[in-house]
Amino acid sequence: MGRQILIDPVTRLEGHAKITLHLDDEGAVEAAHFHVTQLRGFEKFCEGRRFFEMPYLMSRICGICPVSHLIASAKTCDAILAVSIPETAANLRRVMNLAQIIQSHALSFFYLSSPDLLLGMEADPGERNLFGVAAAHPALAHDGVGLRQFGQQIIESLGGRRIHPGWVVPGGVAEPLTAERRDRILAGIPEALSRVQRTLDWFKRTIESFREEIRTFANFPSMFLGLVGPNGELETYDGKLRLRGETGNLIHDQLDPQRYAEFIGEVSEPWTYMKFPYYKPAGSEHGFYRVGPLARLNIVSRCGTTRADQELAEFREMGRGAVLSSFHYHYARLIEILHGIERIEELLADPKILSKDVRAVAEPNRREGIGVAEAPRGTLIHHYKIDDEGLITWANLIIATGHNNMAMNRGILQAARHYVSGDQISEGMLNRVEAVIRTFDPCLSCSTHAVGQMPMLVQVVARDGTLVRELRRN
Amino acid sequence: MPGRIKPKLAVWKFASCDGCQLSLLDCEDELLAVAGAVEIANFPEASRAVVKGPYDVSLVEGSITTAHDAERIHHVRRVSNFLITIGACATAGGIQALRNFKDVRDFTSMVYATPQYIETLNKSTPIVDHVRVDYELHGCPINKHQLVEVLSALLNGRRPNIPSHSVCTECKRHGTVCVMVAHGTPCLGPVTHAGCGALCPSYNRGCYGCYGPMESPNTAALAKGWVQLGAKEPDLLRAFRSYNSYAEAFRRESEDHEEQNH
Repeated sequence: MGRQILIDPVTRLEGHAKITLHLDDEGAVEAAHFHVTQLRGFEKFCEGRRFFEMPYLMSRICGICPVSHLIASAKTCDAILAVSIPETAANLRRVMNLAQIIQSHALSFFYLSSPDLLLGMEADPGERNLFGVAAAHPALAHDGVGLRQFGQQIIESLGGRRIHPGWVVPGGVAEPLTAERRDRILAGIPEALSRVQRTLDWFKRTIESFREEIRTFANFPSMFLGLVGPNGELETYDGKLRLRGETGNLIHDQLDPQRYAEFIGEVSEPWTYMKFPYYKPAGSEHGFYRVGPLARLNIVSRCGTTRADQELAEFREMGRGAVLSSFHYHYARLIEILHGIERIEELLADPKILSKDVRAVAEPNRREGIGVAEAPRGTLIHHYKIDDEGLITWANLIIATGHNNMAMNRGILQAARHYVSGDQISEGMLNRVEAVIRTFDPCLSCSTHAVGQMPMLVQVVARDGTLVRELRRN
Repeated sequence: MPGRIKPKLAVWKFASCDGCQLSLLDCEDELLAVAGAVEIANFPEASRAVVKGPYDVSLVEGSITTAHDAERIHHVRRVSNFLITIGACATAGGIQALRNFKDVRDFTSMVYATPQYIETLNKSTPIVDHVRVDYELHGCPINKHQLVEVLSALLNGRRPNIPSHSVCTECKRHGTVCVMVAHGTPCLGPVTHAGCGALCPSYNRGCYGCYGPMESPNTAALAKGWVQLGAKEPDLLRAFRSYNSYAEAFRRESEDHEEQNH
């Protein structure tokens, strides 16, 4: 008789996300589903709001990456105003977006994933947390807290606060940057650089010990999607979309993000609230792709900064053409932190960053706007329509985590097939299935939020509904 | 305090964006001091370790939006000695309470192809609608310094020193020129709870009410002031319906402007 294993995070994500593993009669895993089961309804309740309120309303989608929603939404409003915003405003938004990527990647790598990497997947769950890391490897924990703080302080310094900042407005930003604030950010750069370099060096030394995870953590061919700059460099604020295949082959380049609807379709499944986007020309069955740090490093021609480009060259040796194992999302995150710090330094070194010309003012000139940016977890698309009064009549959001939905489901299936067999459910197995999800760092507030560090309830349920076995992990 | 058992702290999440509980992690400098003074018994964002209840202090983030959560909050109450709600979702239903003024079926059918699979309540409600709450910390998001103040007050057995006045007082203290009087910009500051440091007026924008209603706000008088500046009824409706739309004072005021629309 077929059975079902349910991994249901009982505290933080109760009612939000869970994993079920469906076993066949021989106890082998035949299907795996990652469910998102909470609804907040942003696309609907913004109807009737003034379009210029949208950046602040939409940033409330997520407390982890509010800046990404703020920026994608403000860009959508720029499109509705039909203005080209001042260069300094674009660069200030760029700095804030990079700071957001740094702090979010630091949260993901150090707070959520480093306990597994440092203490081992089989370690006592009671110790496998940031405080455990702080006890065993204080320098690394310190670097993690410091890097997150570096990014958050830039956001605070530009936007007034770390979570849900204002400041980014339709047409640009609300206030120019002062020399004093710029200098304060610049002063923190050398230390931030050494923190991330130390972590990268350690990660590269340890990577050999994760061979099995690298082989089985969502390691499969797929396409990769993200924004690139005009010369194919890593670009997270603006740019055009590029799609590469599993061998690194270029499928689509310099694609105008305004045309996203022509090549991204979405399908729904009855067992989850999160939709499944796919690359239309390849069809819903074969059109799946990945986004986020791994995808970005696979699609770019170069990072565009000295040290990050050296690291990128080494990173590329992990694959032939494209790096396919989702385990390397972790590695890619560290390189992106390095790139972010270097790029912020470049942007702030330009005296024009202090220009007072930071906002274009206009009335709406178009009835529709699309804004696309790279969030820490991947490509983020906002799309609004307005009426004569400037009120929102329709909104569509494709969030970064959504793009990875198909890949996450396939990844869980792959890991579960490797580590799960019949009734033999070990703590380490559960960790690995959960850790596959964590490599993608899904933001499940944006669709709700990561299957982070939480207790789990695993149930083996027979098809008739009787409970065969229960494993509670606290 | 050598020899003394550390108080146990738990953090709980309901429907929310995680921003408020992350404010705790944002207290980089204070985090280790707090961690030294309390036993973090349940904080999924930071640790998988779960120490059994009861808990001395529970921080609750998020609003109640599912039948399951409506039951779970009673469990949280039972195992918590002192329960603090943090943020606009937990104290006022949050931005998702905007659906309380519409039919939830419109939401699910618009976004999802198979809405019959969605189990959600009609309304997003604050924690205090379900269980007794010992302290409410307002804001979207909360101010981390206020959070540290509340925790340290509790640990030291004193009342938290959180001001209950309006954003106006914060503007005056910072020397920010009144955007409403000087520039004619509509502002919710006069009825909004202090806590953000009067952020928006310092960027020459009107306050948009992230911290919800202050104690005894005179929203009707403010609405008249807005009308004098040229605001129309729908503007007032939208102004009071944002992050704290289901907080009683804002809800009532918004309904007044809704009725006049019909």
